[in-house]
Amino acid sequence: MNDCVLKIENLTKTYKLGKRNVQPLTNLDLEIGKGEFTAIMGPSGSGKTTLLNIIGCIDKATSGTVLLDGVDIAKMPESKLYKIRRDKIGFVFQNFNLLPYLNARENVELAMELAGKFKGQRKQRALELLGTVGLSGREQHRPQRLSQGEQQRVAIARALANDPAIILADEPTGNLDVTNKQEIVKLLSDLNQKQGTTIIMVTHDEQVAAQTHRMLILKDGKVAEHNQAKNKLPAASKGDFE
Amino acid sequence: MGILSRATRNLARRKTRAVLVIAALSLALTMLIVLPPSIQARQDITRQAVDYFVEINDYVTSTVTLSATEIQCSYPVGFDPEIVFSGKDVWFTQPLMNDTIYSQVLSIPDIINVIPLLRVLGTPDRPYAITGVPLDNASYQMDRTILPTNITAGRNLEVGDKGVVVLDLWTAQMIINPNIRAWLSDTGELVLNETTIEKLTAMVGGTITIEGHEFTVVGLAGESLTTGGAIMSLADAWEITNTTGQAWQYRIFADDINNVNTITARIQSIDPKLEVTSGVSQQNIAEPLKNQITTLTQTAQNNLNQIQGIGLMEIGIAVVAATAIILFLMLYSVRERTKEIGTLKAMGAGNGTILGQFMTEGVLLSLIAAVIAIALSVFVLPLLASLLLPAPVAFGPSIGPVSMSNQTLILYPDGVYFGDDPNFIPGQESNIIAASITPQILLMGLGAALLLGALGTLYPALKAARTKPAEAMRYE
Repeated sequence: MNDCVLKIENLTKTYKLGKRNVQPLTNLDLEIGKGEFTAIMGPSGSGKTTLLNIIGCIDKATSGTVLLDGVDIAKMPESKLYKIRRDKIGFVFQNFNLLPYLNARENVELAMELAGKFKGQRKQRALELLGTVGLSGREQHRPQRLSQGEQQRVAIARALANDPAIILADEPTGNLDVTNKQEIVKLLSDLNQKQGTTIIMVTHDEQVAAQTHRMLILKDGKVAEHNQAKNKLPAASKGDFE
Repeated sequence: MGILSRATRNLARRKTRAVLVIAALSLALTMLIVLPPSIQARQDITRQAVDYFVEINDYVTSTVTLSATEIQCSYPVGFDPEIVFSGKDVWFTQPLMNDTIYSQVLSIPDIINVIPLLRVLGTPDRPYAITGVPLDNASYQMDRTILPTNITAGRNLEVGDKGVVVLDLWTAQMIINPNIRAWLSDTGELVLNETTIEKLTAMVGGTITIEGHEFTVVGLAGESLTTGGAIMSLADAWEITNTTGQAWQYRIFADDINNVNTITARIQSIDPKLEVTSGVSQQNIAEPLKNQITTLTQTAQNNLNQIQGIGLMEIGIAVVAATAIILFLMLYSVRERTKEIGTLKAMGAGNGTILGQFMTEGVLLSLIAAVIAIALSVFVLPLLASLLLPAPVAFGPSIGPVSMSNQTLILYPDGVYFGDDPNFIPGQESNIIAASITPQILLMGLGAALLLGALGTLYPALKAARTKPAEAMRYE
């Protein structure tokens, strides 16, 4: 394994759902190396998004340590966490979450504006990134004038804007048709291979997961390596992914 | 793409909503801008009226008190019966009181002042009376009627005047045209043609000879058949008529109204022939007058209180409305954009950034509304002011039977005229006190709009800033 970019030890997350205590993550350990493209799979409610949110500093662990790029984020207060999110993490969401009143370039620039980068610098970098994700010429389009695949590309460009240590993608292909799905997975895969971007992707889709280096199954609050060969998940477990 | 640009685009996203909110907010802010100067103008109007009534009241009180404690004594006017029956012109005679009577009057207790007045009636050689009045402030302050009250040309007599005279118009006319008798109109006014008026006016500054003495004419007084004639200082009158120490009339002032009757009796006992009259009954006249003025003052004050009450209530409504409009709009906006807030937070926006974003939007909204409100208030001020506030109570140009000065007070819904031109035509700019929008008021309006905008947005913006990113991301 390359240098460790993420090291999780003994992570437990408990929250209340009505009167019931739910514990989606129990004493979870996980290490992700730099430059890895990892897929996390698991049944609905297994805690995939919770895990991703904790790694992404938008949710807090109940106990355990989460070392992101060498910094323990598990016990960090919100007043510091937003800087970690800004500087070290890039999010890609299932619903793209682009700001509808900004065009493609401005959506990408916004991430850099939050990081305090200068205007000229922001614009140039945004145009470069949009070129990287194949959206040259579409920079002035607002999200509603872009296809879903294109919107997800903008979201990926935005996630890359501040050179994050890790990209967290939560069902990035969940809302896409087959063609777009393949293109987005290819884009992520290319970014990983050509630029060495570390990517953790939560997905239901085994074919998508199969494009990654490493597949993890989240079950009963813990992760396990999935050692099946690509595209050969057991048919019996398929239902779990729906 | 700065925070302001994002705020503008966000407002532009929901155009209809933004237009409606800005319209409602502008109306509330217009009320806020228009009301204070309108209330102020009405306050000024009513205060002027009240001040005027208070002045009148003080004057009436002091005058009536003085005249109620004033006692006048003189010998009745007499005439020579032989002349009356001879068919010639009748020349009345005026017996004078000598200084013995003066000393006796002065010895009566409870008297604070005695003003001697001299009147020597006309004769065939001098067909007008000579009136001598003491020219000192103390006497004038006690009884202003000792001097002519309506000077039509030149000036009145003043303290220290010597060798000068004020002529009443009747006398002046007779000096110019000894053979032409002036006509009196039905109302008792002297009828003078323009040529005569010009000639009379030309007399001011000139000299005339009375009883062999030269006098400078300093002024003309309105028609006066009783105390007029040639009016001069008492010292001059005594000298030219050889009557030093004598008086036609004493005006005697008691120290207290309760002593008036005793003093009157004491004076009468000096000489039963004396005509002694007192003003003690004047106080009965004063009461209704003072009551009337008190009622007017009270009415004006009540009116002002009502205007202030309604105005303050409306200001309160405008403040609450403006704040509530922004508060609810921004709360709705925060709720509607929860996911966006989550996204921004996930991208690394701090609480301050989110707070700043929403505060900018709220304040920008109020700023746009304030600009519209400012433009609107300049045009609709009089209309809106008359819709929002009751008009100041109108008292009309004259107040009661008292005419203490030539000031005229006319009240209009949007202003008041207070000046000395009784023929004032409404609409003239001078002396109109009306609500006006000053740059200061506009700045205050702008400031109030920003403050209310900030106030109304603060809670929603804090709520947005404190939103937990994980919860915001789950929000549907």
